[in-house]
Formats: sequence, C-alpha cells, structure tokens
Amino acid sequence: MFHDTSSEGRTYWKSVDEIHPTPETQAVLAKSRSNEFPENYDAAPPSGVNRRTFMGLLSASMALTAVGCRRPDHKIISTVRQAEYTSPGLPNYYSTVYSNGNAAIGLLVKVREGRPTKIEGNDLHPASNGASSAQMQASLLNLYDPDRVLKPARSGGKSLSTLDNALETVAKAIQSANGKSVYLLMGEHASPSLAKLVSELQTATSGLKVAIIPDLVANGAAEANKALLGFDGEFVVDYSKADVILSVDADFLGSDKMSVRNIRTFAQNRKPHGEHAHMSRLLAVESNYTLTGAQADKRVRISPEEITGFLGAVLAEVSSLKSSNRFSSLVSAAGAAYKTEEAKAFAKELIAKQGLVVVGAHAGVAANTLGQAINVLLEAIGEGKPMDPAHTLPMSNSKVSELAKLRADLASKNIATIIYADVNPYYSAHKELSEALAQVPNQIAFSQYDTETAAKCTVFIPVAHGLESWGDAKNFDGSLSIQQPLISPLNTSSASLGDILLMLGKKLKADFYGDKASYYDVVRANWETEWHAVGSQAFQSFDAFWEQVMRDGIWKRTSGAVSLSINESNGAAAVASGTKISGKGDYTLLITPSYAVGDGSMANNGWLQELPDGITKITWDNVALVSQATAQKLGLAGIDQTKMKAPVVKISNENGSIELPLWVQPGVADGVLATVTGYGRTHVGVVADNVGANAYSLLGASGEIGYVKVSVENAGKMHPVATTQQHHDLMGRKIVQETTFEKIKNHDHELFEAVHVPGRAHGDKSLPYSITAKYDYKGHRWAMNIDLSACVGCGACVIACQSENNISTVGKEQVINGREMHWMRLDRYYVSTSERGADNPEMITQPMLCQHCENAPCENVCPVAATTHSPEGLNEMTYNRCVGTRYCLNNCPYKVRRFNFLNYNKEKRSPIEFSANPEVTVRMRGVMEKCTFCVQRLHQAKWKAKDAGRARIQDGEAVTACQQACPAAAITFGDVNDPNSAVAKGREDHRGFLVLEEINVRPQITYLAKVRNTTPIA
Amino acid sequence: METVEQTKVAGGRAHTAPKEVLREPLALGSPTLSDITNKIAGIVEQKPTAKFMMALAASAALAGWGVACIAYTIAVGIGVWGLNNPLGWGWDITNFVFWVGIGHAGTLISAVLYLFRQKWRTAINRAAEAMTIFAVICALLFPLIHTGRPWLAAYWLTPYPNQMQMWTNFRSPLEWDVFAVGTYFTVSLMFWFTGLVPDLATIRNRMKEGTISHKVYTFFSLGWTGSMRNWHHYEIAYMILAAVSTPLVLSVHSIVSFDFAVSVLPGWHTTIFPPYFVAGAIFSGFAMVLTLMIIAREVLDLHQFITLKHIDNMNKIILTTGMIVGYAYAMEFFIAWYGANPYERFVFINRATGDYAWSYWSMIFCNVISPQFFWSAKLRRNIPLTFILSIFVNIGMWFERFTIISTTLHHDFLPASWGYYSPTWVEISIFAGTFGLFLTLFLLFTKYVPIIAIAEVKGVLPGNQPTHHHDDHAHAH
Repeated sequence: MFHDTSSEGRTYWKSVDEIHPTPETQAVLAKSRSNEFPENYDAAPPSGVNRRTFMGLLSASMALTAVGCRRPDHKIISTVRQAEYTSPGLPNYYSTVYSNGNAAIGLLVKVREGRPTKIEGNDLHPASNGASSAQMQASLLNLYDPDRVLKPARSGGKSLSTLDNALETVAKAIQSANGKSVYLLMGEHASPSLAKLVSELQTATSGLKVAIIPDLVANGAAEANKALLGFDGEFVVDYSKADVILSVDADFLGSDKMSVRNIRTFAQNRKPHGEHAHMSRLLAVESNYTLTGAQADKRVRISPEEITGFLGAVLAEVSSLKSSNRFSSLVSAAGAAYKTEEAKAFAKELIAKQGLVVVGAHAGVAANTLGQAINVLLEAIGEGKPMDPAHTLPMSNSKVSELAKLRADLASKNIATIIYADVNPYYSAHKELSEALAQVPNQIAFSQYDTETAAKCTVFIPVAHGLESWGDAKNFDGSLSIQQPLISPLNTSSASLGDILLMLGKKLKADFYGDKASYYDVVRANWETEWHAVGSQAFQSFDAFWEQVMRDGIWKRTSGAVSLSINESNGAAAVASGTKISGKGDYTLLITPSYAVGDGSMANNGWLQELPDGITKITWDNVALVSQATAQKLGLAGIDQTKMKAPVVKISNENGSIELPLWVQPGVADGVLATVTGYGRTHVGVVADNVGANAYSLLGASGEIGYVKVSVENAGKMHPVATTQQHHDLMGRKIVQETTFEKIKNHDHELFEAVHVPGRAHGDKSLPYSITAKYDYKGHRWAMNIDLSACVGCGACVIACQSENNISTVGKEQVINGREMHWMRLDRYYVSTSERGADNPEMITQPMLCQHCENAPCENVCPVAATTHSPEGLNEMTYNRCVGTRYCLNNCPYKVRRFNFLNYNKEKRSPIEFSANPEVTVRMRGVMEKCTFCVQRLHQAKWKAKDAGRARIQDGEAVTACQQACPAAAITFGDVNDPNSAVAKGREDHRGFLVLEEINVRPQITYLAKVRNTTPIA
Repeated sequence: METVEQTKVAGGRAHTAPKEVLREPLALGSPTLSDITNKIAGIVEQKPTAKFMMALAASAALAGWGVACIAYTIAVGIGVWGLNNPLGWGWDITNFVFWVGIGHAGTLISAVLYLFRQKWRTAINRAAEAMTIFAVICALLFPLIHTGRPWLAAYWLTPYPNQMQMWTNFRSPLEWDVFAVGTYFTVSLMFWFTGLVPDLATIRNRMKEGTISHKVYTFFSLGWTGSMRNWHHYEIAYMILAAVSTPLVLSVHSIVSFDFAVSVLPGWHTTIFPPYFVAGAIFSGFAMVLTLMIIAREVLDLHQFITLKHIDNMNKIILTTGMIVGYAYAMEFFIAWYGANPYERFVFINRATGDYAWSYWSMIFCNVISPQFFWSAKLRRNIPLTFILSIFVNIGMWFERFTIISTTLHHDFLPASWGYYSPTWVEISIFAGTFGLFLTLFLLFTKYVPIIAIAEVKGVLPGNQPTHHHDDHAHAH
C-alpha cells in the first residue's frame, strides 16, 4: 500500500500483496485514462450481457481465479513487470531495521524502480531519530557487492546447485550426528522471531546446541552489571540527562553500537545558544584518542593499567563526599589509586549536578563494576535517570558461559557438526578456539561472503543481505520494529538466515512450524500471537496493526524495566577478578572496533574502507597508534608522516603476532599501542582482502577486545599509509574558531571579530567594495550552517554524501596520490593550549564542503563556463561542459573540488552500479565535481511545493544528505531569503563565522564556533 | 671632415664612417655578397651529413616517445600524471610557461630590435624566430593535453557561434591565454615567413629547375623577383609586422602571468607578475637562443656571422633581465612581509624553507647568481662559459615556474588540504618529448631554410647601407 503519511512526503510501504493506489495516484490514473481512451470508456456496460461479453468475463474471471488463489506472495516484485505501486522516476520510502549486532536502528530506505538506492534513518525510531551512521549508510553497498557468493557450494567437489540440495546435505549431516552434538554458532542479533525460531529448531532437533559468538566480544559491561546490579546486559545511556559525564575509555560517541543515539542525546544537552542555553561537561580519561575524547571539555591520558586504580579513587572520593561508606570493598579491591588529583576534582564535579560515569565495555569487568558503583552513588541509575533500566540492549548478556560450554564440548570432541550462521570465528576467534573448531568433522557455513570460515566448510549456503530479508527487532526501549525486504534476493539461490533455518527445520522434521512456509510467515505469526494479542488492542485487525508498524517502522510500547538488585560482595569479587591485563610484554595494546569497518563483517565495502578514520584520517589500513614518547622509546620517532609512509612494527604476544605500521598519534597514553579490529581479512573479497592486519589474533583466550600485553619490535620496513590529511596544525589561522561556555554566557564575542578584512573597520560586517554587480537573489537563496560544537566527526555525513551523490571510491593508491573524491571531508586540527601540551592536544573537527561562495573564485577562472552561479546562490557544476583544466580546483581556497583523474566509475564491477542514485549524474574522467548542496533534493522539494500549489519551499522541506544523516543535528540548511528559516536565524548567532572571510569570497556556509565548557562545575 | 676615414672593403666600394662610432664588424672576414649566399645557402644545399641524420633520428625518437606518452595520457586520463587534489597543475603548466617564455626572445630580437635599428640582430633573428615558433608549438601542446577531456577542450576553448548560445567564459585568464598565445603564434609565423621570402627565392634560384625542391621553394617564395617594387612592399610589410609583434612581446607573457595573478591564492595573487614574467621570458628566451646559436655556430661553422659581439650583446641582455628577475624575487618577499598578509607571508617563507626549497634555491642559483659572471666583459665573450650559463638560466627559469606553481598550490589556505606533488615518468617523458619535438623541428629548419637571413646580413655589411657622402654633395639615399 502506498500512503503519503508524513509531511516530508515519505511514502511508507507495507507489503506488496495488499497494494492500493492513493487517492492522488487514482486521480492521476483517472486523468491519464480519460485522455488515453475514448470518452465513455468508464461508462457502465450495457445491461443484458451478450455472448461475447459473457465469454470475455468468464475467461477474465478464470484468469483472476488462477491468480487470486495463490498464497499472497511476500517477495518484492522484480521490475521486469511493472509494479503497480512504482511510478517510474519517483522514489518510494520503506521502513525497515538495521541491526548492528543486537543494537537495532530503524531505517527508511529509498527505492527507485524497485532497487534500494539510499539508506536514511527513521525519524520515528528512538535509536536513529532520523539520523544514521556511516555503516548504516554503507550497508547499501554490501547489498550490491559482486563478491557476495551466488550459489551454494562445496561438497567434496560436487556442486550443490540448489538451496534445496544444499540444505538436504546439511540435514543429513545433522541427522547422522550419532548422539554427538550439533552446534549452531550465531552472531548477536535483536530479533525476537529469530530467537524463537532458533529455540523451536533446538526443540525439534535433539542435540542441537546454540552459541552466540560474535566476532566482536566485549562482555565487560554486561558482566559488571550482572555482578553488581544483578542484571546481565547493557544499558543504553541517555546522555541528555547527565550534566557531568566522566568517560573512562568509553567511546560512546564513536565506536559504540548506539553511537547514533548517543551523539544525539549528548548534543541535546550541549546547546550553548538560545533561551535554554545549557552545556553538560564531558570529562574524558582515556588511553587512546577517541572521538569522545575529542569532544571532552577536559581530557586526561591514562595508561590502561591505571584505569581501575583511577576509578577506585573516584569511587572513594565520591563516597567520602557523599559521606557514605558503601562500596568500600570495591575500592580496596581496585588496588592502588592512580591520578588521585584528577579523581578528586572529577568527583567534586560529578556530585555537584547529575553525574554519570561511563566505562568502555572493552575496559573489562573490574573497571565497569567500579563505574557502575559510582553511578549508584551518583543516583545515575534508575527510572528517568541517564541509565534507565527500561533502556537496555536486547540479548546483551555476557557470552562468557556459552563460550565456555562450546570449548568444553570441543575439548571432549563431542561435536559432529558445526554450523556457522553468518559468524566468522576463523577470522576473529582465538587460535586455540579455531584450532579446536578445525577438528570438527562437519563444518557448514551460512554466510553472505565466502569468508575465512566458509572456506573451511564442506557446505556453503549463501545468506541474503538484511535489505533482502524479512525479520524483526526489539529496540533498546522495548519497542519493536519489522525488518522488511526492499528487494528480492539478488542472488536467487540465497535466502535470509531465518528462511534457511526454517527450511532446514522442515528438512529435519516435516511438520516444523506447521504451515508456515517462509520466515515471513513465521515473523508475521509471531507478531500476531506475541504482540498483537497482548498489547495492540487499538488496532481492530492484525492486518491493520501489521500495516501500521510496517509503515512507521516501529511499534512503540513500553516493556517492563529490568529489575536491579545491588550486590556489593559480587561487585567486589568482580573488581578483584579483573584488575590485571592479560598477556606478556612491555607494552599494552588496545584493540577497539574500527570507526569505519567495525568488527570486519562489512569490510568488503569500498565506502567504509575509504572513510577516513575520525581521528587519524587514515584510510584503507589499521595502524598502531602510539604517543611520541613511545615512538621514541621504540627508536622510531621522527618519521615524516606527510610522506605517507610509516615504519612497520611486529607486535606479538603468546596469542599471535601481527605487523602494523607505527603511527604517532598525539593524545595516546605512553606505553600504549592502539589499533582497531575489522582489518586483515584474507578471504572475503577483492576490496578487503589483505588490507591491514588482523588485530583479533592478539586477543586473549576469551576473545574479548580491550587491552593485551604485547612486545613490540621494529620489523625494519616501511609501509605506505593512505591519509587524507597530512597537516594538523592551524598555523595560527582563524579557520576554526573556539570559545568557552563561560564567554558565551558573559556575552563576550570578541573572538569572532578578530578576523581582519582589508578595507573594513573593526567590527564592521559590511562587504568590501566590488567591481562586479551583486547578485539579486529573488527566489530562494540556499545556505548552510554547521555547528562545530555539535559535530563529533563521526563520518556519517561523508558516507551519506557519497551514497546520495554517486561519489566514486578510488582505492588506497589513489588516496596516497591525494585523489580521494569525497565532497564532504572532515578536517581535523590539533590545538595545544597552556593546559594541554603537544602530547595531549585538543582536537577540532570541521566539516568542509563547497562553500557556494557568492563571489566564487572558481567561477570566473573556468574558460568554458562549466561552473556558474545559480539564481538561488548555488555554485553549480555543469559536468558535460567541463573540459577539466583544473583551474577551478587550484583557485578554490577551500580545496573542496574533486577531479576525476581516472575513469573511476568504469572500474566498478557489476552490480555495484545499481547502488547509484539515478537522480545524480555519474561523472566520467577528466571532469571536476563537488558538493551541489544536493541540488536534486532541492528540485524534488520544489516539485512537491509546486504540486501543493505553493510558490516556495517551506523551511525544512529541502534537506541535504549530510544534514539528514548527521546524528548531532549539527547541520542546518535552508533558504536565507526566508527570515524565519532556521538557517537564517542560525547565521545570526554570535558564534557564527565564515571561513576565510577576509578574502571576500563570501561563502554561504556559516560555521558556529566550537564551545567547550571549560569551567569546572561546582 | 677631419675624422672621416676611408675603409677598403672587398668589392672595392668605399665606405666612410665617423671614427668614434666605428663599431666592430657584424660579419667577420669581410665576406663578399656571394660569399654570404654561398655559405648560408650551402648549408641548405649540401647533402645531410651522417651526424645530422643521427641527431635528427635521436630527436625524432624522443619526440615520438613524447607523443606516445601523450597518447597514453589521453587514453587513460590525467591520473597517469602525479597531479592530485591541492596540486591541479604541475609539470604541465610549468612546461607551458617555460616554452612560451623561450618563445619570447624571437619576437624581441626580430621585432623590437628591428624597430630600434639594432643591426646585430641580423645574424640571429632568423634562428631566434624559428625557435620562437617551435617553442610556441611545444608550449601550445600543454594547455590542450593538460585538460581532462582534450577532445572537447580542442574546440570548446574557442568561441564559436552555436545554437545553444554557449560561449566561452571571457572572464577566465585561460581564455585570454587562448587568444594571447594564438595571436602570438600567428603573428610570429607570418613575421618569420615574410622575412624568409627573399631568402627562399635565393635558394630557388640556385636550384635545378624541375626538381621537387625547386617547385617547393618556388611555391614558398611567392613569385619573388627581387625587384625594387618587391623590396619596397617587403620592407613595408616587414615593418608593419614588426610593429604588430612588438606589443605582443609584452602582452603574451603578461597574460600568461594572469593565469596566476588573477587567482586568489597567496603567492599567485600579486601585481608584480606581468613585468616579472616578461623579463623572465626574455631572460630564458635569450638563454635558449644562445644555447642553440653556440651549437649552430660550431657545427655549421658560422663563426663569421655569429660573432663574439653577438654573444656579448646577448649576454648583456641576460645580465639585465636576470637582474630584473632577481629584483622581482626580492620584491615578492618584501611585499609578503610589508603586506602583512599571513597567508602570503607563509607561502614565501615556505617557498624558501619548505618542501620545495630545493626547487627555490635551484632557481635562485641559476637565475640570480649565475648571470653575475657576465659583469666581466671577458667572460661575456667566453664561449664555453656562456654555453654553460645559458643552460643554467634555462634550468633556473623552468624551476621558477615550477616553484611558483607548486609552492603556492601545495600549501594554501587550509592546512588540512595541503599536499605534495612529484611527477610520474609520463610527465617527465612528455617534457622530454617536447625537447625532442623542438630539436626535430629546429634540425629540419637548419636543413631546409637558411638559418641566417641572407638578405639582411648583406644589408649590414659595411658599405651596403645608404650613406651620406660628405665629399659628394648629391644625396645618395
């Protein structure tokens, strides 16, 4: 069905089998029909049916019967046949859900002519709020990845040509287990229906055991909650409810699964302007420089060994300030106190207003337990508090015991068959585990890619992409979402994991799940019995309920909060158990998920591989980050990073050894090496294979990410490192401006008038004299504001722009050559202050894109007039006129123009071209390109306004891709000719400044100065 | 008059000149008119030597390699060069400006010195003009092949009427370049050819009738008979073309400098560029003329016509223009300091101390320091030193353009977008290929066209000028 439900004109589709055109569509159809056919086409047939009409009606009804008797087809109709609901040229938006492990985030997917072309966040979904992450956006590219496996394969050389054959083989393998057990290994997920299906499968199959072993394991938070609070799982924190946040190696704005929501809630409480000006204070204590640390109002480097001691000191201080002697056993279990001075100061701030401590899940159970103990004292846990028991990730319990059981079974050689359901332990697991797995006689892979694990299996069954699969998800707040497919599986032999398990169940037991022929039926039936029956009486029929949820993408309901009971002695034991870092060696290696490729499952994705790391700006690699002091200690300091080469070090411990390029990163604690997971894939596809090194291989037996002791030696070679930014110093230039919340409150705006514009008095905002006539913007005049205070540098905008505007990826070699194509780049500068020296500088991220200058230097130098000024203030690029002199690029003071040095688009392998947005031209080589302010979206908004009989677009109707994706809502876009628009008001803010205002190019992007809350809260 | 002195010259005609203005002769050994014709036309008429053929083969091979690399670039894309995001230009535009600059000496010698009655120009003007044309051909390659889509740039850069009313952007300095360099090439070619007509006719007259070469020379000598009427028209045409060419000496390189000066970039956006570029162009042009003429003088045994006086004069010009260029370098730094623009100040400090400092100091050494030898009259007449320094000057002037382009682009306003550039083998090959092309054309020129203007040299021989004879009161003009 096809309902225009929202003011944005998004069309939410429910299901194909019950399609009705909207009244508008009907009107259009009727109109075209009346033009197309003779006048009285619609006239009623003459009464009295003659023989010919009778025969006609008879055959038609026969045909209808044949069609109508079919079970409703739930698959998306391919565009070979014109589907009724698609209007060629007009996009439809469908809601679905994306799962990052067990964190479900609602999506709206734009579909053009039956193929998904753009992923956006669902604004009704609390994990998204309309925003998205880089990975969410980029998952579209994985859908069209040519490296996904097409067919079932590998059975002792024999071809398994069909899914059925392959499943038959699997079923036989399970049935011939002879009393030994069969293991199904799965990743984390948030789907109640899948969980139910798996448990039904376990009931139906004797000896089937299930273990959840995600690639990325971080049990610290769940274990700590289990010990101290009696709740085995993870909280989803509402940062808008905290006034003072102490983040201890927690990257909640960066690599956290819920970062999209976290960035939004964090930004909500950091609004230095307006009537309700308020800013929370972020104190970051961390060993690696993270995006969270970059936002910190105060940042302290800490060695991982000192974390528990530091948290113990904070706990002790908070208790003493609160005159409480609770958790004294935890304090003593935490061992020697570290950084007591900071601990005292931070404790004072934490108790002054609503304090909150967040500890990275990878930081281990001891640190997390101490953090939660402080939160208990700060009353940060509870209903309406930052850590609300009603807001937890589903199925986020600790996986320690499941893994122990699997190990025991492997050790006793009691496993006949093992099924890997889209997990990849041969890539991510400890070598002892993967060696034990290799002993299992029968190994079967259900996987999207021919992975490291799938390569070791006897049977391989291709799994469909999330956008091709039915499913559902439970959200962190208890609400539920339906995952609906946007396209039928591109590989016709693949099926969703749910479908595969269902089919397998039916092979094992004929009446498995009764008459439910597909996973779609399973999900639907589940919803009918589980949710509709209990909580959705508002809907008369289940169909109406189902339709509504599919349209909205979410069914809001409140589920019971988890119950908490504090157990101090368990907490103390947990603290005591985990204060030591495992492994042998002189250095501590910190392993966290990559900002770009995450746990590595999405690694075969050019967009993500080429997304510059938020901190290092490195693409296509993971490196070992160290402080200058550590590099000196290793004898590898003084390497010129601008030359894009780095010395390679061999990092080894008892678990394994990898070689990584050494990269000096200011702000990393001394003695620490920091790297990320997700790289070092060897068997997945041409994009990710042999990119970087596999950091999982150094992790301890538990497989948990975090800290390990390692020894480091110089490997004596150099490795090319592709960074997109080689200079990090502002050189005293006022490109990025900063102020403090204190100054804003005191109306001290001096900072922003410091830019000297020739011929203009101090404080004068008038424009310098110009020999050319001013543009007369009669209609709209587009402009953008970017709030540097909100931006955390997550990179969602970069990928959103890439997806929306068909921007090519160019590969590592071309990035080294300086030819990356991103229209939106995130410039990152370090700032040293008297308080924070070069070893712990502040960091500022500045999104940089075409400034759409009114006095654009690029426009007058183009000899063929390929770049021109539009009547609405856009700096337009006419690709087919461009001959590629590159003068515009040279003359752009912001260097935001991108030249197609090679035919990057021709190098794409099919079917990747289907990911392209049909509304945007694909550029050939020799042509310049750059940000267009998403001119195609502006046009669509205009058409909408015109259809609605309006001459102008209203504020908020035209949304650029970067603005839409931004989790921090840092970007405002609109028409400055409308004085009431958000963008027109925003640029009047005292924090507003123009980059390079002094050269009089008159940019249309106003940046709002970065504000830090530097005054301690007392 | 008491200071009049009688001079005997071959041919027996008397010539008188005031003693204090008596100058060094422009052709040594007192050649007769037929000596000159035989000597210079002989070069054209003799069979090509083995050395010549080897030199031609080598330069043609180099040119061919360059053409192959150009074809490769057009087929694959500019990505085969080393250019990148902050550096949209590199060796391509460096080479363009370098070759255009070299072309300047030709016009200066043939037009400006002609109008100023500098008779010493006659021995070198023909070769200098040829060099101009060949250098501009090499230069014109780059604006075309440096574009991303040269198959479109080839005609979209010219304003032509079309149904879409799509004109070129007349505000763009690149468009001005099209006109400036195009005009320069056309006028230079006409000027050169006009000067050639009498000499081509001389060769024609010496050829055996009926041969193909006779027909070709007949065609290009445009029916020249050597009549008074012919000479009369010729002199007027030559004078007009010289007058038309003269402003071009200033305009072409001024406009080329606008490619940089019109931009907003620190290090480019400066008003000193037009005079500084013109001086630099003359500087490099004279150096190139010297390089070529010293070789031709030795190889073709032209000591008689290209004398030390010529070399001395050219070295003086090199010294002068070198000083102008050096002054411009210093003034750029002064203004960068005086103007207090932090971006500009940074660019100049970076120019001398940054990633491309090696290029900057090579430029200073070659362009400012090396010509200082020419303060000495003795060294100005030292052929080996002149030859070496002329090559230094050309290297230095290439580095000047490279320094200007790379230092400004690689570190401009936003430090986040800074980069670095080095050329690939393709760019180096194309540059080498233009030398191959230049030398090929020049070698062919020495073989098929009199490399010294026969008629003009005859004109500067003592006694061949209209003279006022004081002992004979009849006016003998």
